Amino acid sequence: MRQYAGMDVSGLTRFAKSTHPLYYGIIGLIAIELTVVAMLTVSYSYLMFSSPEWPPAGLEPAPILWPSVNLGLLLASMVSMRWAGNRISAGDRRGLIIGLSTSVALHMTVLVLRSFEMAAFEFRWDDHVYGSLMWTITGFHFTHVASAIVGTVVVTILATKGYFTPERQLGVVVDTLYWNFVSAAWIPFYLALYWGPRLV
Amino acid sequence: MSKRRDDAPSGDLETKDGRHWEHPQTRDAAHHGRREEERQEPLHPTVEDNEEEIRKLELAWAAPTGFIGWFKPVNQRIIGRRFIVTAFVYFVLAGLLGLAMRLQLAVPENDFLPPEIYNQFFTVHGTAMMFLFAIPVLEGFALFVTPMMIGTRDMAFPRLNAFGYYVYLIGSSIFFVMLLVGMAPDTGWFNYVPLAGKLYAPGVGVDIWTTMITFIEVSALTAAVELIVTILKLRAPGMTLNRMPVFVWASLVMAFMIVFAMPSIIVSSSLLILDRLVSTGFFVPEMGGDPLLWQHLFWFFGHPEVYIVLVPALGIVSTIVTTFTQRTLFGYTAIVISIVATGFVSFGLWVHHMFATGLPHLGMSFFMAASAMIAIPNGVQVFCWIATMWGARIQFSTPMLYVLGFFWVFVIGGLTGVMVASIPFDLQVHDTYFLVAHFHYVLIGGSVMPVLGGLYYWYPKMSGRMMSEFWGKVSFALVFIGFNVAFFPMHQLGLDGMPRRVYTYLEEMGWSELNFISTIGAFVLAAGFATTFFNALASLRVGPKAGNNPWHAETLEWVTESPPPPYNQRHIPIVNSREPVWDWREEQERPVVLGLRSDRREVLVTSILDAEPHAVQVVPGPSIWPFLSAIAASVGFVGILFHPIFFVVSFFLAFFSFVGWFWPRRPWRED
Ligand code: HEM
Repeated sequence: MRQYAGMDVSGLTRFAKSTHPLYYGIIGLIAIELTVVAMLTVSYSYLMFSSPEWPPAGLEPAPILWPSVNLGLLLASMVSMRWAGNRISAGDRRGLIIGLSTSVALHMTVLVLRSFEMAAFEFRWDDHVYGSLMWTITGFHFTHVASAIVGTVVVTILATKGYFTPERQLGVVVDTLYWNFVSAAWIPFYLALYWGPRLV
Repeated sequence: MSKRRDDAPSGDLETKDGRHWEHPQTRDAAHHGRREEERQEPLHPTVEDNEEEIRKLELAWAAPTGFIGWFKPVNQRIIGRRFIVTAFVYFVLAGLLGLAMRLQLAVPENDFLPPEIYNQFFTVHGTAMMFLFAIPVLEGFALFVTPMMIGTRDMAFPRLNAFGYYVYLIGSSIFFVMLLVGMAPDTGWFNYVPLAGKLYAPGVGVDIWTTMITFIEVSALTAAVELIVTILKLRAPGMTLNRMPVFVWASLVMAFMIVFAMPSIIVSSSLLILDRLVSTGFFVPEMGGDPLLWQHLFWFFGHPEVYIVLVPALGIVSTIVTTFTQRTLFGYTAIVISIVATGFVSFGLWVHHMFATGLPHLGMSFFMAASAMIAIPNGVQVFCWIATMWGARIQFSTPMLYVLGFFWVFVIGGLTGVMVASIPFDLQVHDTYFLVAHFHYVLIGGSVMPVLGGLYYWYPKMSGRMMSEFWGKVSFALVFIGFNVAFFPMHQLGLDGMPRRVYTYLEEMGWSELNFISTIGAFVLAAGFATTFFNALASLRVGPKAGNNPWHAETLEWVTESPPPPYNQRHIPIVNSREPVWDWREEQERPVVLGLRSDRREVLVTSILDAEPHAVQVVPGPSIWPFLSAIAASVGFVGILFHPIFFVVSFFLAFFSFVGWFWPRRPWRED
């Protein structure tokens, strides 16, 4: 069979940033994790609605101040990540590093606050199912924030080595995607865990 | 192969000198005016293959060899083949357990298997067949076939692919080894609490079940993301969504179903393992938990799971029907819509496994309607296949025989399915052998038979040789007869009231004859499977050489050699219809893509809907890191059974191995 030249792709970009398969791969990962988030939230609500008392007798709903502060910090970190991405698009490496470090610092603060908060819980995970849910879900989110931090630290190190350029910034783009997911995932948990018991 | 035109320039990358080759579809309309001046120069110069380039390509795509090399390759076909082979090994092992159970049940009050062992056997048999065989084997076929069908050279994330395989291998081996040491789980394949709680199942068996199933599902999820992105982004130019082969559609739908169904089993088994290891109370009523939550979460996964293994199998059926009738598939659009609809509806069915739990009535009716509705898309597909075969000259080779066998078995399985979807009937046969008969009809008929057909069909592409037709037909006859003899009587047994999951029964119940017949059937069935496996092994050496396209099929995997070179296709083809290979056979020529570099692994990225090329992706080569990452993850999954600290240990191990995996290799400047 004769083969003839149908098209030539030697000139196509090797750097596509938001149409790169890796971008879609991270979206896939986020879709999976969002399903996990949904499952946990639904399980929480299911158990909440099937219990006669929520939280169990003698307990106040968990304090809401620090989780709300955390929510603010998480949302702020999304902005600083966004800013970092804009800086590198403009070719500003220093800006990128500053943006990334700020975001990491914000998430670190969240972890510290969260640790105090968990240490102050008046119940253990093996006391009742309310305790189990609180510990498991906050622990789940804690782990995610921790992994977003370590991932972004690696990206920051690469940035200091001058790896990222306006063309080669896929690493920053996908890290930001995941970062946004981790930060925003707190919203449903926050609503379910802290507002849920107050509203029903 | 290619007949060279006299005036055509030779050499591969001749286009470097600035000429542009239009998309063959648009060229006529848009560039009519240029026709004249180009008459001197040929419009479509022949592409000649040049030895030097081929050598470079081979070097760039070759998989490492040797012992250490075994842990490194990432090429899609190697990983796909490993999935298939490993899954078949589990099929044999779990099948042997099934035979042992049938032996035990052959006569009343038999003492071949003690009750504890019988419980472990049906649990491991069910779990292994579903999680270790059915899903991985279909993923394996999808990983092996779809990238070639869409005309690309590898998948979007080759290393992730390798990672998924090692996770599956490690997780499943640990699960199975527990049987040998007598510590296997014994709580049934859906592991209901409270039976599976710490109180009633104190041993490590259920711990292993929960951790390893979670772990293995991670591998299914990686394969799913991999398939989705590859199918959407790496198709050959011109393969718009509505020219995509049906099998590719089916793999895509399967992958989406995995993405939304598997997290729920991961969540449920993680909650269970927490209950068991650190005494949380999710499923413990005394602590405010609810055992029904397990059932909801499990079946929210479990029902789509049945369709996860059915949908790609139906894709295999469509492929085989097209090839062996040598006809365009009737009702392509209807079939694709049915596949997609099956994917959606299957998520509305989970409650039908729980009709006996006493949920509110209105809700139940909804799920009953949804359960009956799923019959519609499946019916549509059956009619489309019949229409395709109607009046065609069908070639009755082994793959086609398996498909015909599938029709018969699947229609019966579907009928009994509609029967148990009706609540009053379900309450009668709940937990009887009627159910055992029903799901073996659906699973063996709907999944295993097409998979065996697919094995005969794609074997030449995998190995370069044909399997024996004679033994193929013998195997089909044994499987078909054996299967019906083994499982048809179970319907009657169920109606007579024989419960499932009993290790023996009394003479007076009057179940002896049917059970004995069923056992004989099971052995005939097993002989049929064995024939196929020996056929496959022997044909590796003695099978006749296959050639590129032994079945005269129409999809892209058949234009390249069998087995294909490590880079799959010498040139990425350009597609203009649903049956590209048949077009080219008529036209005696085909358009290809030029301009991918031969000295590194490059694949073409195209747009999601119309497959217009818009970028080139450089995919990574062999690496040991995916294997090390899988080990790191296993340390966590196994470790937490002993101490929670392993969660943290494995977090950091996995972190380091991921950094090793993704760290860019110097020199960066080169791209
Ligand atoms: C060699 C062919 C096979 C034989 C002889 C066989 C036999 C059996 C038997 C005797 C049982 C136990 C029934 C009971 O005591 O309740 C069983 C259960 C089961 N089988 Fe098979 N089977 C075969 C193939 C398969 C295949 C291919 C699949 C799935 C792809 C499968 C999936 C299951 C499942 C899910 C269960 C339920 C386990 C449980 O109750 O937890 N089987 N099979």
